[in-house]
Amino acid sequence: MAASLKRGVVLKAMGATLVLGSGALPAVAAASALRVGMIPDAGATQVSTDEKAPLRDYLSAKMGQPIELVIPTNYNATVEGLGNGSLDFAYLGGLTYLKAREAYGVIPLVQRTSDKQFHSLFITQTGSTINKLADLKGKRFAFGDISSTSGHLMPDYALRNAGIDPDTDLTARFTGNHPATAKAVESGTVDAGALDESVFKAVTDGGQIDKTKVRVFYTTPPFVDYVWVARKDVAPASREGLANAFLALRAGSDDKVLAILRGTSFVRADDAEYATLRSIAKKLKLL
Amino acid sequence: MNALLEGAVRAVPLLVPVAQTFGMACAGMLVALVAGIPLAVAVATRAPGYRFIATALGALRAIPDLTLAILAVVVIGLGPAAGIAALAVFYTAMIGKVFGELLLAAPSAPVDALKATGAGRVSIAAFGLIPLTSRDLLSFGAYAFDCAVRASVIVGAVGAGGLGTELVGAINALDYRRAALLILILVVMVAVVDAFGSLIRRYPRATLALIPIGLLTLWVDRPQFFAFGHALTTFAKMLPPQLNGAELSALPLLLLQTAAIAVFGTALGASIGFFTALIAARTIVPFAVVAVTRRLLDTARAIPEVVWGLILVVSVGIGPIAGILALGFHSAGVLGKLYAESFENVVKEPVASIAATGASTVSTIAYAIVPLAFGPLAIHTLFRLEWNVRAAAVVGMIGAGGIGQALFNAQQLFFYKTMVAYVLITWAIVLAFDILTERLRGRELMT
Repeated sequence: MAASLKRGVVLKAMGATLVLGSGALPAVAAASALRVGMIPDAGATQVSTDEKAPLRDYLSAKMGQPIELVIPTNYNATVEGLGNGSLDFAYLGGLTYLKAREAYGVIPLVQRTSDKQFHSLFITQTGSTINKLADLKGKRFAFGDISSTSGHLMPDYALRNAGIDPDTDLTARFTGNHPATAKAVESGTVDAGALDESVFKAVTDGGQIDKTKVRVFYTTPPFVDYVWVARKDVAPASREGLANAFLALRAGSDDKVLAILRGTSFVRADDAEYATLRSIAKKLKLL
Repeated sequence: MNALLEGAVRAVPLLVPVAQTFGMACAGMLVALVAGIPLAVAVATRAPGYRFIATALGALRAIPDLTLAILAVVVIGLGPAAGIAALAVFYTAMIGKVFGELLLAAPSAPVDALKATGAGRVSIAAFGLIPLTSRDLLSFGAYAFDCAVRASVIVGAVGAGGLGTELVGAINALDYRRAALLILILVVMVAVVDAFGSLIRRYPRATLALIPIGLLTLWVDRPQFFAFGHALTTFAKMLPPQLNGAELSALPLLLLQTAAIAVFGTALGASIGFFTALIAARTIVPFAVVAVTRRLLDTARAIPEVVWGLILVVSVGIGPIAGILALGFHSAGVLGKLYAESFENVVKEPVASIAATGASTVSTIAYAIVPLAFGPLAIHTLFRLEWNVRAAAVVGMIGAGGIGQALFNAQQLFFYKTMVAYVLITWAIVLAFDILTERLRGRELMT
């Protein structure tokens, strides 16, 4: 009896899997669908993909082609997808862009106006004695993902300019992402950390991080960060189509889409503006 | 009540990732069985080139799931197919190696008799080795399937979807309520798979149920394209493996960290598991207690090491301690269950005679049950140590330190030659521990 009952449960579970599996697994993309990848700056769950539906619909309407959004939780996967042609377009961070440009010759298209003048924030606990970069000597410090521009590359550079060698003067760790860095500082598991300014605003405004427990004590000079790129073999007309779709976004009429992109307006991007970032990345042996 | 309702509403859209995870595990296992069994037979019958096959299987097992998944993306693009491919490769290596060992352990007399008839390798396997070891094969197969469900957590990272993607996403987004719900679902799934596993052991034909689900998932998630030429040039660029001076001088510390995470993680798991097992054995405590402690152990076991790690880094910070705790908690779940079963399986008479002297429960446990179960306890612990060496490399990706973190960092920075060097080093450590534990096991079995 017990066995047959168990078998019934198992078979039912399997039936459910079959039904769901056939209907719900990502539908086979239509041959003409454009595949657009995003690095997981706001998570890579089904919910976050669903939340981005307005963006997908907007791009699809503007380009007159079905769009499939793919959000791997890993940066390499996005770049390798551009490399072998399983992605046509992607949203990349500054350093990831440099890697993808070097390996696969991806073409920069557009970016948020704010990406041209982006900043990293250094944060610590409200009551901490840390007030400037030099105070970090000997402290426990959190970077975000190792391949993040605002979570690692630029903070590392700022520290070195302030006479702090992250390899020897800090007990430095990689948390893997910006919210985790904020959490590590809030909980006191590290003395300080560096992260993306837009994510810091999002987690303190959203209440995931208690505003009264952390404070910003240093803001880096501006640098160029996130960018939308095309695989090098994508037809120029298609590249222009995507670029124009972003450039046409207007505050007021496209607020839903702009909120997903955490921006207010888009401008054209080019490789030349990354010269400084590239030389810094090479100097730090991250490229 | 409201919270319950809210939970239920939040859970409904999760049926999709649950189905994806389950389908992926079935598909991965199906491929692994089809590819792994012939390899196991080749190794067990000493077919030409079996040494090479065994070596290759060992090397594949040293590649962390996430790295395998990235390699799969290079060949067949982003999406669930890459996740299934990574699972299939990993479990083909696991099935090939362990089934090979199990087949080798088959009683020799019937096999020799078959050989004497001039039977070929396939016949020896089909009529001798496999039927002779079918119980062990099924047990291990059920266990591997259970692992495959949990492994989906990692391969979700390549856009493979499933519960893993959801869980990692929820933890990264600091959404702990959602993460808790997802972990609960994972626990239930592992319990269902567990039930299926014991079903397989009783009715081996239930395994056939995997075939339609696996085939359906393979079809629905079939690769959208292949880029073999591209993959060949990309893989070629990953060679030769190389480490620069700074990386070489950091190597001893990294090795030490990895070994420490594995050893202390196992020790922690064994300690927690031991004391929990005492109150999880039906022969020691009443059923009501066992029902609770077993569920606790199941929960600890259902949460993969990496997920334990993600949860722990928030509270204890990043570093080897998080790695040790992550391995320790998961191992406690695994070992607690196995220890409890070992306690239940000890010969009853000596226990009864000690108890008959009027000894207290504590004395009976200390002087009868534990000494009698010592052999199986040691074997389970050594197997876990071996497993944890590999797991220590995997939790490196959440910042636990050691070779695993160095490997993950190199991968994240696209320094693929360095990544390959660390894969080879991981392989060497895993091999070293394999040999060490084999020696210890040999000694244990002799005494």
